[in-house]
Amino acid sequence: MAAFDYAPAIVLLPFVSFLVSLGAALYGDDVLPKGGALAGIVATAGSLILSLWVFFTVSAGNVYNQTIYTWTTGAGAAGEEALELTFGLLLDPLSSMMLIIVSLVALLVHVFSLGYMNDEGETGLPRYYAGLGLFSASMLGFVVAHNILMAFMFFELVGLCSFLLIGFWFREPGPPSAAKKAFLVTRFGDYFFLVGVVAIFATFGTGRFAGAESFPVLAEEVLAGEVAVNTFGFAPTTWFTVVGLLVLGGVIGKSAQFPLHTWLPDAMEGPTPVSALIHAATMVAAGVYLVARMYGFYAVSPTALAVIALVGGFTALVAATMGVVKREIKQVLAYSTISQYGYMMLALGAGGYVAATFHLLTHAFFKALLFLGAGSVIIAMHHNENMWDMGGLKDRMPVTYWTFLSGSLALAGIIPFAGFWSKDEVLYEALVHGLGTDGGLGTIFLVAYAFGLLAVFFTGFYTFRMVFLTFHGDARTGQARDPEGVGWNVKGPLAVLGVLAAVTGFVNMTPVADLFDLDIEYLHRWLEGPEGVEFMSALSAHHYLELLESDVTGIHAAELDPLIPGGVSLLLALAGVGLAYALYGRGEPEEYTAKLGGVQDLLYNNYYQDEYQVAIAERVVLPLSRAADKFDQSGVDGVVNGVSSVSLFSGSRVRRVQTGLVSNYAALVTLGLTVLLVAFGIYGGWLL
Amino acid sequence: MNQWIAVGALALMGVGIPLGMIAVSSLIRPSVPEQGKSSTYESGEIPTKSAIGIQFNIQYYMVALLFVVFDIETVLLFPWTVIYQPALESGVGLMTLLFPMLVFIGVLVIGLVWAWRQGAVKWARSEAATRRKTEHNS
Amino acid sequence: MVVYPDWAALAPALALAVTGLVLLLIDSVDPDDSRPGLLAGTAVVGTLVSLGYAGWFLASGTGQVDGGTGAISLYRDALVVDGMALFFQAVFAVVTALVCIASYDYLKERAYQAEFYSLVMFAATGMAVMATANSLATAFIALELASLPSYALVAFLKHNRGSVEASLKYFLIGALSSAVFAFGISLVYAATGSLLLADVASALSALDGGLTGVAAIGVLMVAGGFAFKTASVPFHFWAPEAYEGAPAPISAFLSSASKAAGFAVLFRVFTTAFPLDAAGVDWMLLFQVLAVVTMTLGNFAAATQETVKRMLAYSSIGHAGYALIGLAAWSGGAPGSVENGAVLGASMAHLLVYGFMNTGAFLFVALAEQWDVGRTFEDYAGLGSRAPMASVAMTVFMFSLAGVPPFGGFFSKLFLFAGAVDAGFWWLAAVGVVNSTLSLYYYSRVVKALWVDDPVGEFELGGTPTGLYVAVVFAAVGTLLLLPGFAPVIETAQSVAAALVP
Repeated sequence: MAAFDYAPAIVLLPFVSFLVSLGAALYGDDVLPKGGALAGIVATAGSLILSLWVFFTVSAGNVYNQTIYTWTTGAGAAGEEALELTFGLLLDPLSSMMLIIVSLVALLVHVFSLGYMNDEGETGLPRYYAGLGLFSASMLGFVVAHNILMAFMFFELVGLCSFLLIGFWFREPGPPSAAKKAFLVTRFGDYFFLVGVVAIFATFGTGRFAGAESFPVLAEEVLAGEVAVNTFGFAPTTWFTVVGLLVLGGVIGKSAQFPLHTWLPDAMEGPTPVSALIHAATMVAAGVYLVARMYGFYAVSPTALAVIALVGGFTALVAATMGVVKREIKQVLAYSTISQYGYMMLALGAGGYVAATFHLLTHAFFKALLFLGAGSVIIAMHHNENMWDMGGLKDRMPVTYWTFLSGSLALAGIIPFAGFWSKDEVLYEALVHGLGTDGGLGTIFLVAYAFGLLAVFFTGFYTFRMVFLTFHGDARTGQARDPEGVGWNVKGPLAVLGVLAAVTGFVNMTPVADLFDLDIEYLHRWLEGPEGVEFMSALSAHHYLELLESDVTGIHAAELDPLIPGGVSLLLALAGVGLAYALYGRGEPEEYTAKLGGVQDLLYNNYYQDEYQVAIAERVVLPLSRAADKFDQSGVDGVVNGVSSVSLFSGSRVRRVQTGLVSNYAALVTLGLTVLLVAFGIYGGWLL
Repeated sequence: MNQWIAVGALALMGVGIPLGMIAVSSLIRPSVPEQGKSSTYESGEIPTKSAIGIQFNIQYYMVALLFVVFDIETVLLFPWTVIYQPALESGVGLMTLLFPMLVFIGVLVIGLVWAWRQGAVKWARSEAATRRKTEHNS
Repeated sequence: MVVYPDWAALAPALALAVTGLVLLLIDSVDPDDSRPGLLAGTAVVGTLVSLGYAGWFLASGTGQVDGGTGAISLYRDALVVDGMALFFQAVFAVVTALVCIASYDYLKERAYQAEFYSLVMFAATGMAVMATANSLATAFIALELASLPSYALVAFLKHNRGSVEASLKYFLIGALSSAVFAFGISLVYAATGSLLLADVASALSALDGGLTGVAAIGVLMVAGGFAFKTASVPFHFWAPEAYEGAPAPISAFLSSASKAAGFAVLFRVFTTAFPLDAAGVDWMLLFQVLAVVTMTLGNFAAATQETVKRMLAYSSIGHAGYALIGLAAWSGGAPGSVENGAVLGASMAHLLVYGFMNTGAFLFVALAEQWDVGRTFEDYAGLGSRAPMASVAMTVFMFSLAGVPPFGGFFSKLFLFAGAVDAGFWWLAAVGVVNSTLSLYYYSRVVKALWVDDPVGEFELGGTPTGLYVAVVFAAVGTLLLLPGFAPVIETAQSVAAALVP
């Protein structure tokens, strides 16, 4: 197919734009018009067009799984095939859908950057656009990767780019340390991933995602007893779980799941368009995408699924509670991102492959929208991000307000915006699988479901607290009364995404489909993949379901009407919104303290409100957030610091052995040799 | 009867005899301490300084090193000359017999030429040595 | 077709020896070193000729099993030229060439240049012979031939107290190790009655029980002698001091070529002469212990250093630990089998990659010494903006040493660890990975200093030494080219390693 021949260009185009901008950055600042933005826009637009072409080719029933370049062939052990390390493309429904998401968001972010970076007179623009280009290219490369080593390499490139872009304003104190933190924390997870990659190669001799010789298929056959692989003395199930969890380490780091989520809020130090790109379509999405990509491997390991579900559900709740008390608009969005990716992990763990992909799709659009909207507000507020300094922006920035509202409704999960449908499906899948599965696994799913359900309330609350504080009420500062205008390059992307955030959910309206018995679950059908292609059978949603219901995993769905849980979660979301409205929607949430000597009734009401707010914020949420924070600082950071201090300490002890006195060395050499002689003499049985 | 016992006995004797002689002589000799006995023997000359801490000219070492090189060369060359004629007669080729030794000597010659050109065999007068000599004579 | 005499197979080593002699002749004609370009040029040409021979032989199959002549035995089996010997000779020639190019600038205005180059050549000759040594006696002689010039070279800056002190320590520890090594050889000889590796192997297999202990102590002591040359624990003490005190090109030479030479002879002696089941000592376990201790100690100590050169010295010890995995995970299977070659070949490939990246890193230090910017991490701050080319190269070296993709060091480590896992030693690979993680910390300190940190004070770089630059950039290019070119390297290494056992 012609589209597949051109598919490598999807990755190469942004890479070329990276090279162009890099050349400009090295040469000097003023060689390219718009600081390199145009090259990036053209390249990502080209990628988008090609991605759409691929998408339509895939919808016509074609898929693609080919090696493009073999860079190393090792010597294989006797009777086994040689280890091959390759680059290649896997274009199936999942990756072609993801390609569109990534290239579309990347394009919009490039356009938005014209308003956010160029018009604000930032310096170092070629470096910025070079980073964006490489970021897009590496994520696109990651999406199309057809083996896990290639995926790992692009995964690492994504991490590197996030480091470069978060630390873009490297002369200020915050961004470099945030960049470092992001890099180190994700790297911590990536080392597990790397070990996992080696383990996969050592176990299966291949890293391919699809095809008869791919490792998910091999794992399945091993468990069915058809083939044997080297499992290093473990039972195959145990070993696959270990390998799966190792790879999951990288996922947890990149997708900012508990307990490696700490880098993400700090990463807000980067430019806002970069935050949009990181959160909506690239870095954070990479982790979840990886699990979806090799879902066939996870689907045969109930333990790994349970861990994924539990981590996801827990992250969704904890992050949502933390988002409640933040003052900066981007911080709220950061915690919402962590929370939303928690939902996706919950869905993946609980066997809702389609639901997770669906939420990945909708979230990409509404979160990109919210970040770009926040960016627009930040431009208007002259880079003041404190929501308490805003208020009443609704009338002064109507385009931003209405699009932001669309995104917020989607995030909060209010019908009929995109987020409602996907989140509802995530929770529904968790619930039915929790009810239908026997034993501890089912209980874990139910616990995870409870976490997720509770998080819906908090999501509604913090989302609309943000909306009300930012746009409603009266302007609280001079900046808010007279905001700076934004141009077409800001409004355009917002409008596109605003529409998408409202309507994307219609691609998979499961409750409606069930209610009216309609065949409108397009996404579900899309992920089934075309019929008749051999390797697709192992990548289809249908096949995953079979794996989950097999004896190995034993996950079953209970019969349940989707309307009731959907209604419950909608009610909870509305309750959250309502509470936010009650606390922040009316009057002026902070200024009443200034009128304290004035009206008594108002004081009473305000006092009551204040108590109420303090009670929620300080007695419940703050301790919870503090506890989480404390765990973060003492538990997680403690371990990290502990490891490095142990190694540095023992390093200095080692150094002390090196005294500089040659006679000591001679003595130690002799001593060492003697120890070896005696030890091996006794061990070998010829001494004593 | 272990044959190693003979080796051990030889070692015992080797160490025992000198030690015994020193011990016996220290027991039976008369002890007459005198200054002349502890002073350095300088062929009848009266010693001027202590021998401890005296510094030899570095060039002694250079000459000694060159000597060692050629000493070892002789060790190799000697057996070669002994077997040269018989080997030639028994039909070993000249190339096999002569060439390796020529290469060996050639390598040594290069080293010697180099050392010569570097001044290793030129007995330069160090200022310190000259000064000491003049002081002694005066 | 011309039939070459058998001794022509020694051409890579002979080229180096002849170059050393030619340098002495040049110096005899012109004792004042008035033409440093000629000296450096001769040395570089000589090493390139050696490299050319080694490469040609490797390509044409000389001494190799697959499509070649089979191993060529010389001088009643005292020497053997096979694929492994040629592979290592190529490594030595590359490193020596880089060192000679870099030394042209480093030695400017210094006396005794001809002696410097000829000593380097003689040491390289010794290493080349080490790779071909097929008897314990030649192994010992070659090891001494490589070591003695090294002692002199470390003391080359003879008015620098550090250099002289380092040399003396190196010499004393070297003498101790040589004694241990020679003692070990004599014990092996006592037990087996032969010094030829193949005969030792067959005699060990037929050894009567009473002499097992003697042979085993001998084997352990021989291992000690090699541990000195490869700077492995517990014979590593000389390394940090010698590398720090020596002129930086010599540090590069010692830590790359000399170490690789130690591994060459170590691999050959242990795989050929000491059968795993008959040596009386489980030397796989021995090397597992040494590998783990060496890499851990090297990396931990490197993490706490303040000066870059000393950090590199300890990191070099750490890398010796990685390379030891080649023997530690040696599975001792059927002769010539693929399993044996896989991990040993990976170790050899790692030494080749290491030859480029470590030499380059030390040469960058030489560059910094030339500019006189200082020795600590902090002193390197801001070099990135003043010498971007060299700093990019240094960044490549650091990341490659740490084993970060996509640099050469990543693949060699990947194959090494994968080989260990394949041989069933996943825990060795795990220790290696953990150590690599730790190493990223101190390697990235250099990169951070180069690019991120602001310099403490203003300083100017005194000129751009062309030779050093060329060598550094060439090493960087080599490190990068080993990325697409890793396939032939690993294939060659693994096939010659598989052919090692007769």
